[in-house]
Formats: sequence, C-alpha cells, structure tokens
Amino acid sequence: MQTTQPRRPGELVFTILMALGSLFLLWSAYGISGFEALSAPGAIPMVTAATMLICALMILRDTLRRSPVTSEKLERDILPLPVVVTIAMITAYALLLKPLGFVPTSFVFLAVMIRYLARCTLPRALLLSVVIVAVIYLVFRLVFTVLMPAGIVPEAEIIAWVKALFAGKGN
Amino acid sequence: MDVLQSLLIPILNPELLGLIALGTFAGIYVGAIPGLSVTMAVSILISFTFSWEVYPALALMIGIYMGGVYGGSRTAILLNIPGAPAAIATALDGYPLAQKGLAGEAIGIVTVVSFIGGFIGIFALALFAPLLADFAIRFQPRDYMLLAVLGILLVGSLSGDSLVKGIFAGALGIGLGSVGMDPLTYTERFTFGTDALRSGVSFVAVMIGMFGISEGLMQLHTVNTAAVKQKIGRIIPSWPLVRKHLPLGLQTSSIGTVIGALPGTGGDIAALIAYDHATRVTRNPEVPFGKGAIEGLVAPETANNAAVGGAFIPMLTLGIPGDAVTAIMIGALFIHGLNPGPMLMVEQPDMFWFIVSALGLANVFMLIFGLTGIKIFVKIVELPRAMLLPVILLLSIVGAYAVSNSLADVYWMLGFGVFGYFLKLYGYPLGPVILGVILSRLLDDNWRRAIISEQESLWMLLKGTLASPLSLVLFATVILIFVSKTPLWGMIFRKKAG
Repeated sequence: MQTTQPRRPGELVFTILMALGSLFLLWSAYGISGFEALSAPGAIPMVTAATMLICALMILRDTLRRSPVTSEKLERDILPLPVVVTIAMITAYALLLKPLGFVPTSFVFLAVMIRYLARCTLPRALLLSVVIVAVIYLVFRLVFTVLMPAGIVPEAEIIAWVKALFAGKGN
Repeated sequence: MDVLQSLLIPILNPELLGLIALGTFAGIYVGAIPGLSVTMAVSILISFTFSWEVYPALALMIGIYMGGVYGGSRTAILLNIPGAPAAIATALDGYPLAQKGLAGEAIGIVTVVSFIGGFIGIFALALFAPLLADFAIRFQPRDYMLLAVLGILLVGSLSGDSLVKGIFAGALGIGLGSVGMDPLTYTERFTFGTDALRSGVSFVAVMIGMFGISEGLMQLHTVNTAAVKQKIGRIIPSWPLVRKHLPLGLQTSSIGTVIGALPGTGGDIAALIAYDHATRVTRNPEVPFGKGAIEGLVAPETANNAAVGGAFIPMLTLGIPGDAVTAIMIGALFIHGLNPGPMLMVEQPDMFWFIVSALGLANVFMLIFGLTGIKIFVKIVELPRAMLLPVILLLSIVGAYAVSNSLADVYWMLGFGVFGYFLKLYGYPLGPVILGVILSRLLDDNWRRAIISEQESLWMLLKGTLASPLSLVLFATVILIFVSKTPLWGMIFRKKAG
C-alpha cells in the first residue's frame, strides 16, 4: 500500500477529512439498526462505513509517512484560478438558471468562460456563445425534448410564433 | 426465428439504424478528443434519453461506446495523446509512425483491426452469453454477493495506484447507493432526517459529477496546450498487410474478449495485456516496438474493441458491469425498467439479440466512418480545449437538470464533481465509486438473502461457501486479490525469485 510519491499540497487535510467523514458515516450507519441482526438494514451500511474508515486510516498513515512535495503549490497545482473560477461559474449558473432561464444563463456562462479560458476577443466569444447555445437549444429542446426553465424568455410565445409562421407558409 | 426477428430490429428500422450510425460517428469524435471520454458522454446521454423508448436510447449509447473505444486511437496516433485510456498502448507505436509521416497508414490498419476485434468480441457475446446465463440461473445469493465484491475489488485494484484507495472508493460508492429508504424494511439510511435524501442520491447526478465535471476541472490544468498539426497520406491498408497481422490480431482479440468479460476489467487493461503479448510473441518485427511497429497497433486495438463485446457478457448475464461504461449502461437499463442479469435473457431475449445486432452494426459503421473523413477529423481534433471545456460543462449541467427538472440535482452534480476532482488529484480511482453505486442494491439484497437462508449464521454461510465449487472459486479470488496486495505476498515472491 505504501507509495513512494511525495505528499501533494492539501493531501493531508483531504485524507483527515475522509477519515472524519468515514467515522461520521459509521456512527450514522450504527444508528440505522445497531447490531440488531446480520440481515438488518444497517448491516451493509455499517460494513461499508467501517471499510471506508479502516482504508482512510491506512491512507492517512501512508500520507503522514510521505514527505511533502516541494515543487507544487496549492494555489497553482491543486486549486488554480481557472478551477476556482469554473466552480464559481457553475454555482452561479445553477443559481440563475430558474430566474433568468436557460438561454440567457447559458449564453452568459459560455461567453464568460470562453473569453476567460480561450482568451479570445469579446465579439468572438459572444458570437461563438450564440451559435453554441442555439445548437444546444435546438438539439436538446427539439430532438431530446428536454424542458429547460424559460425564465425571462417568452419561449412558449416564440415557439407558437415560429409554428404559426411555418403553418402560414404551408397554406 | 425469434432470434432472427430480434437481430433484424435495428437493421430494418431506419430510425434505429440512423441512431446507431450517429452514435458511432459521435463516439469516434468523443473518444478521440482528449478531455472527452466515452464514460462522460454516455453518462450525460442517459439524462437526455431517459424519456425515450429503450431501443433508440440503447442504439445511441451502443454506437457511442463502440465508436468511442476506437476513436481513442486517433489522437494517440496523431498527437501522442490517447483520447481514452484504452488507447494508451496504441500511442507507443502509433505516434512514431505519425512522426514518420505514416499517420494515414496507421489509422487505416487500426480501423480495420479494430473492426476485426470488435466482431470477435460480439461473436463471443452471442455464443457464450446465453450459455453463461443458463449457468447463472443456478447462482446462489452468496455468489452474486461475492461477484459484486469481486467486481468492485478488481476495478479498485486495477484502476488506481493503490488497492486501499480503490477499496475506499468502492465502499464510498456502496454507501452512496444505500442512501434513502431501505426497499425491504422502509428504514431510513444515511438520510440525516432530510426529505431530499429519502428518495436517494440521483445516480445520474453522481455520474455526471464524477465523470463530467471532475474530468472537466482536471482538464483546466492543461487547457492551453497547443494542438500539433498533422499530415495524412494513404488510409486504406493493403490486403497483404492485413493478412500478415491477422494471426496476431486473432490472438489478441481473444485476449481482449476474455479480459473484457472479467468483471471489473475493461478495454484499457485488455489493450495493455495484448500489447505485452505482442512484444513476447513477435520474434522479428520489421520495426522495433516503441518505434512504430505495426504489431504494436494491431494488438491493443483488436483487444480493446473485442473487449466491448466481452464486457457485455457479465453485464447482460450476471448484472455485473465489466467497466465504468458498462456500469453506466446498466444504470441506463435500470432507468428504462430493465433488470440486467440471467432473468433478462429468459424474460426478454429480444433485448439481448437487439444489443448483439446493434453492436454489430456499430462495428460496421465504425469501419465506414473510420476510413472516411479523416482530414475533416484532424481539423476538429485541433479545436482548442479552452473552447470545448465550457461546452462540456454546460452539457453536464443541462444533463443533470434534465433528469428530473430539479436544480437540486445540479447542486449534487457540482458537489460530486468537486469531490471527484479532489479524489482524482489525490490518486483515488473513480470507477469503483460508480461501480459501488450500481452494485450496492445487488450486494445488499443478496447479502440479506444469503444470511437469512443460513439462519443468520456467519459460520453456516462460510461452510456453504466452501462446500460450493463456484462460491469457493469466487471467495478464493476475492481473498487472492487482497493477499496479492499485501507486503507478505511481495516478501514470499521476492524470496522465491531470490
């Protein structure tokens, strides 16, 4: 089990959290049905949580034995800015999806992310976002019939208008 | 006659045929583009197709799986970046060929041998799965329990750098799978008194988080790596070249099928073992291995495509997934109300033969698409990752939301995505987590059946296990995996070697 790789930044904290989390889960699993019977609903959860705890303690022992890596930094190699920004953007997306709706939220998300990650010009990022959102919307809304929050966009009216337009053409 | 009718379903239905073709085409690109994985694509796709009929949903997913396993070889050859883990061995000889200006030839031979390997795996599936299903009907609950443990252990031991981390990940998956109301006694498990957890954690949210978001976050570390430009020459390989490597291809296809059929192993391991086999049986390669040997392309590519058919054998006959992708496919079958396992073959043989036929068609489409449109393909693969990643993330979010139109699933997905990212960073394999979630119910139900049938006695259960040849083999294998990873095992073998 012992590995020779040096300990990465944050690894010790993560391993301690895993061990504490496993201990908490074992306590919760014990609360399901205690040691009532081997076939009780809490039996497998207890074995599972106990396995996690034993493994987490073994990993912790191994992590403590390894020397920390000197060439890596937490803010550069574990949680670099693009990762933090992306997590924040996904959270913001989830928060804004219902009030704003799928189309505007996705457009803003893509435009900001493409501009930030690809470092392209703003008009290019906006244009790409429009095209991608249009394709995703057409494929998933019409082909996969996925219902997404309409939000501020009067989607039903637009679809009805497009349908009426085509119906009119057909006449 | 019924078999023939089921085999003809996807062939005679233009919609299904089109979906298999579309899936295979998309799969080649998904498999080829570094940062996109088949597991990721299939997990996102489940959320979009769960309202479909089962045949079209499966047709699309099977196409993506088959195309994706092959597609990984493209970027392995062109850019020395395997698009999928199953193509790691392909890069060893594929990229040196591309450097010599022979990328077209390499892609051509890889396409043809992948097709051959794919058919051998599908043939094995059609031949052996019905036999295994007949045998599996006689399995006892303890055998299923042991098979579930074995599957998780094998994935845990083979997919990461440490067995302990693999077991931790597998146990975590089983724990996640137990969240909610116990289906037998309606007791709450790991719900912490919250209503949101009573119906359990959304499997699709866990899956998209672990394979979509966490992979996307990992890719951010290398987001600005520039793509290498390539030139493509002749593509379709000559018949003498194919004939020359056919014997090796047949051997490695068999290896791929067997390894793919073992619970917990998949195309990536099959490809590496096949490559190793090729280096040992090829006495005088025209070009040394690692410098552009055709044998080094034939072996892994036949094996990983043969492993696709092989992986469906335990999945359809025992309900045990072969690897992460088949674990997700099992999830898809569950979502569509099917129950993979020996009874599927008895109750719905049409489903089995449909899958065989769809795999065969996907294999043919793989050959067609593989030998055409390579120049356009090269352009698409050169798309910067910085533009692809936001789209992948957006699709993941939409996918998680679409399952039950619930924002809670998006938060779960994000939570598991961030958690999966840290697990990956610190060397924990994610495959066992998904396998654990999928197998949790099978393990729990069969453990309880087994122990109740032995009057709640562990001693009786052990006696029963030792008295049955099948249970004994499974039990011994589980013990062997444990022991083989202990320092004691290493000491014994070092002493023997000394």
